[in-house]
Amino acid sequence: MIRFDTVSKIYKGNFPALENINLEIKEGEFVSIIGPSGAGKSTFLKLIYAEEMPTEGEVYFEDMPTSGINRKKLPFYRRNIGTIFQDFKLLPRKTAFENVAFALEVASVPLAEIQEDVPQILEIVGLGDKMEKYPYQLSIGEQQRVSLARALIHRPKVIVADEPTGNLDPTSSWEIVKLLLKINKLGTTIILASHDKYVVDKINKRVIVIENGKITGDYEQGKYKLV
Amino acid sequence: MLLTLTRTFQQAIKSFLRYQWLSIATSSVLMLSLYLIGILVLLSFSTTTVLKNIQDKANISVYFKPDVTEPAIMGIKSDLEKDSSIKSVDYVSKEQALEDFKKNNADEPIIIDSLKEIGENPLLASLVIRARDPNEYQRVYDNISQADFSSEASRINYGKNKEVINKLNTLVNSVKKVGAILEILLVFISALIIFNAVRLSIYARRQEIEIMRLVGASNWFIRLPYIFEGIIYGAAATIASMIFLFLTVKSVSPYVSAVAPAADIVGFYLQNFGKLFGLQFLLGAAIGVASSWVAMRKYLRV
Repeated sequence: MIRFDTVSKIYKGNFPALENINLEIKEGEFVSIIGPSGAGKSTFLKLIYAEEMPTEGEVYFEDMPTSGINRKKLPFYRRNIGTIFQDFKLLPRKTAFENVAFALEVASVPLAEIQEDVPQILEIVGLGDKMEKYPYQLSIGEQQRVSLARALIHRPKVIVADEPTGNLDPTSSWEIVKLLLKINKLGTTIILASHDKYVVDKINKRVIVIENGKITGDYEQGKYKLV
Repeated sequence: MLLTLTRTFQQAIKSFLRYQWLSIATSSVLMLSLYLIGILVLLSFSTTTVLKNIQDKANISVYFKPDVTEPAIMGIKSDLEKDSSIKSVDYVSKEQALEDFKKNNADEPIIIDSLKEIGENPLLASLVIRARDPNEYQRVYDNISQADFSSEASRINYGKNKEVINKLNTLVNSVKKVGAILEILLVFISALIIFNAVRLSIYARRQEIEIMRLVGASNWFIRLPYIFEGIIYGAAATIASMIFLFLTVKSVSPYVSAVAPAADIVGFYLQNFGKLFGLQFLLGAAIGVASSWVAMRKYLRV
């Protein structure tokens, strides 16, 4: 479903972030990307959701190279991919409901549909009773669940999670990962970047190790271990 | 599409209201430049009216020697009327001239008395010639002074109003020039200020924009609020400018009427309200949208 074909990414000023990456992620997989900070994990994810373009090689999403996506098509491409981040990226002036609804509003979805879909999704992430709460009224873990609900609202084929548990305590972390596992079970591909050893070990699924911009390990049912 | 329009328009209104002071300051500068345009339009209207008025009064008077007979003068009159650049030729007989003279000087008993003293009518019959185009007077005048009948004329009067017209013309032209330069400057400044306001608004909403991009907002959804913001600045500035313009017209009108009774600027304002409003709004919105666009190109990565 996602394929990296000899991909290198060199940022402006000759900073190599990724070098010669070859990789395939199949539909329905749950992949953990691990590696030290600055190893290139975020760049790897950005290449998937087409925030960055490879300097060399191609990233294919369902056999379509991301370099072929023009600015007009990019928004539609993005609706295939849900993203969550360490800092949640919630809008502080909007309630949980409005934050999730926002993703639909900006895609010109009619109001009736918004009012039907958003509560459903919030129910799935366990926030059915906290829809009208503002982010500051929610715990950190709940905030991350709102952002996960927003990522899910377009029913994406892939969820890209960049250190989603980075700010969370172990219990909340596990709550989020459990949700990701559940979503994965329903068929959505999950790509999780993390350096949370506890979390990755417990997931017990494919692990890809990135160090210094290179893949140094790719294990089915792997554990968090850096070479 | 309609959903996108209404949602983004609401967003623009919200952002306009949220940063009230910024919005007021931005609209005010735009208003100033629209206001100046309104003033220039009104000024050009009233001066054209005044000029036309004065020009209508301009004429060339040919006074004939006492021994020239009325039929002879009528002959010259019909000759002159053949000239296409001449609008009208009016015959003023000696008697008519005396009558007019008396009327004009009714308040001056000395003059009336001295007329009686003379006993006979000292005034001359004349032809009053008006040119079709005010700029033709010089040529018409030259023609007449070289014509065959010029020997029968006692004097040819022209130029009473010439200087006034010329002076007024230069005055109006220089006022228009200065106004236009000022206007260009103001348009430029307002464009810069709107640019800055939109830039700030993009900066203030950078997180929202980032999220919009991540969740797959269509590019128009991200852009439209700023375009609407530009239009709203234009609209707010136009409304304010029209109000100020009306107040100005109201307060200046008595002075204008004193100089030129024919120039009814209040009436002109009211009659052309739609046109003035439309002109200002179009210009205001154009400036607003153009600077929004530049700001977006620079700061909005979509």
